[in-house]
Amino acid sequence: MERKHLIAWSVVAVAIAALLPLVAGPFWVALLTQMFIFGLLALSVDLLLGHAGLFSLCHAAFFSVAAYTTAILQVRYGVSTALAAPAGIVAGTLLGLVFGLSVRTRGVYFILITIALGYIVWGVAYRWSSFTGGDNGVTNVPRPTIAGFELESMTSYYYFMLAVIVLSLLAYRVLVASPFGLTLRGIKTSETRMTSVGFRPNRHLYAAFVLSAAIASFAGVLYVYYNRFVNPVSASFPISVEAVLMAIVGGSGTIVGPLLGSGIVLALRNWVSSFFELHAAVMGLVFIAVVLWAPNGLVGLLASLRANRRAAR
Amino acid sequence: MTTPAIELVDVGKRYGGLQAVESVTLAVAPGERRVLIGPNGAGKTTLFHCVTGTVRASSGRIRLFGTDVTRLDEASRTRLGMGRTFQISNVFMDLTVVENVLLALLGKDRRKWTTYRTLRTYAQMHEQALDRLAVVGLQARANETVRLLSYGERRQLELALALATAPRVLFLDEPCAGLSPSERQLLSQLIAGLPRDITLLMIEHDMDVALALADRVTVLHRGKVILEGSPDEVQADPEVREVYFGHV
Repeated sequence: MERKHLIAWSVVAVAIAALLPLVAGPFWVALLTQMFIFGLLALSVDLLLGHAGLFSLCHAAFFSVAAYTTAILQVRYGVSTALAAPAGIVAGTLLGLVFGLSVRTRGVYFILITIALGYIVWGVAYRWSSFTGGDNGVTNVPRPTIAGFELESMTSYYYFMLAVIVLSLLAYRVLVASPFGLTLRGIKTSETRMTSVGFRPNRHLYAAFVLSAAIASFAGVLYVYYNRFVNPVSASFPISVEAVLMAIVGGSGTIVGPLLGSGIVLALRNWVSSFFELHAAVMGLVFIAVVLWAPNGLVGLLASLRANRRAAR
Repeated sequence: MTTPAIELVDVGKRYGGLQAVESVTLAVAPGERRVLIGPNGAGKTTLFHCVTGTVRASSGRIRLFGTDVTRLDEASRTRLGMGRTFQISNVFMDLTVVENVLLALLGKDRRKWTTYRTLRTYAQMHEQALDRLAVVGLQARANETVRLLSYGERRQLELALALATAPRVLFLDEPCAGLSPSERQLLSQLIAGLPRDITLLMIEHDMDVALALADRVTVLHRGKVILEGSPDEVQADPEVREVYFGHV
């Protein structure tokens, strides 16, 4: 898409999002807020999947460790938001420094190791109940106040998240077009060639993994303030899988794809579960359809439709 | 005698029970153009892999301008001045032609770690990349995706990537493999036109290309050097004729 069209569409999208709470009810405002939060998680997964070619299935770990850290510090120890929120991000990122060592493996081994690492964190959250609250998790996390603005109401949190997601996407756009971003795509395409022109691919993949963990942690902190509680579900394997599916459904390797995918997955789940108990099965069928007929996700589908229309003209 | 650009002492490579390369000793002088020939399975590509660091040699020493690089990884050897092309085209298929060269330029540049600035804003690096493409005649295709390039153009790009790392010693693994006669001529002219301060070590099956480019020729057979000499000497040697061309 041309640059000026892209800017125009982005401005329109943000304007619609900004006006939405005036016309839509609280259900929609809540759904979009979740879409932003999980869109950020999907974005962190897709930095590895869509750019570096690493299929990680442990991102719920960073997400939940950040959420738990912030919640426990704030609720149990009375630490202020200004410290508890950054502490959450730091905790998740530190875990990323450890889990990131898995980039020494590739392909199916990498996937298996990340699954195992994810289960460790879930196990701790679930079983170490004296610290994590077990099944009940940690509740009553207060909504924060940022620069004098109380984010108590759903609408105010929605606007806060809108600002966060816009800034995040702008930063992400620079990141993937930077020398570092191109390096990741080079590694995805041909590691042997990268080595022969002087790169050490594992170092770049490790850096990307830690950065990705930091973004997932950021999403985790935003989640716990939105949700006001955290329990072991947020550390569970399905969350990691869902983040990957969001990226794929929206369009892996693109900038807005993971966010759109997050919206599609959340909306679909909400809608289907309102009238059909086996909603997980329906979601499964949707994902199969995407992989078969739109492997490049919604963004890829739209791009190819555009190309076809242009060719027909 | 001056320090050789590249020196191998008793280099060997063993894969389980197979001795792919058996104790190869050779030295290439700075600026020399050396061609490595030998029948299929002679160990030419394996020897290349050992020298450039793609695989580790099982035995022997490798020196680059007198520096022992035997224990260094491939990226370090590239930084010290080794460049290579691959027998089977190894370029970044999903990226554009100019992005391919930009990556090759970034390989030895600290700016590859930059995250806060888009690559498009590095005007000077772009210009440099386009210059490198001009050398191999691909500047007009700079913004195409590599997937859309012909096989011959990919071989040209392969050479541009190796040159972008500013190598002092360049290893070319059958640069003309699989090309049509006219493409072959274009590429061998490109290679012949390289500056003389780049030392060349090249594997080539095509005797015409090999003998036209080479200052000296080394013949490898079953993992061993059986002869080294000028192109004329090698062509006239009865043993080479036997292993290379079969009985005449």
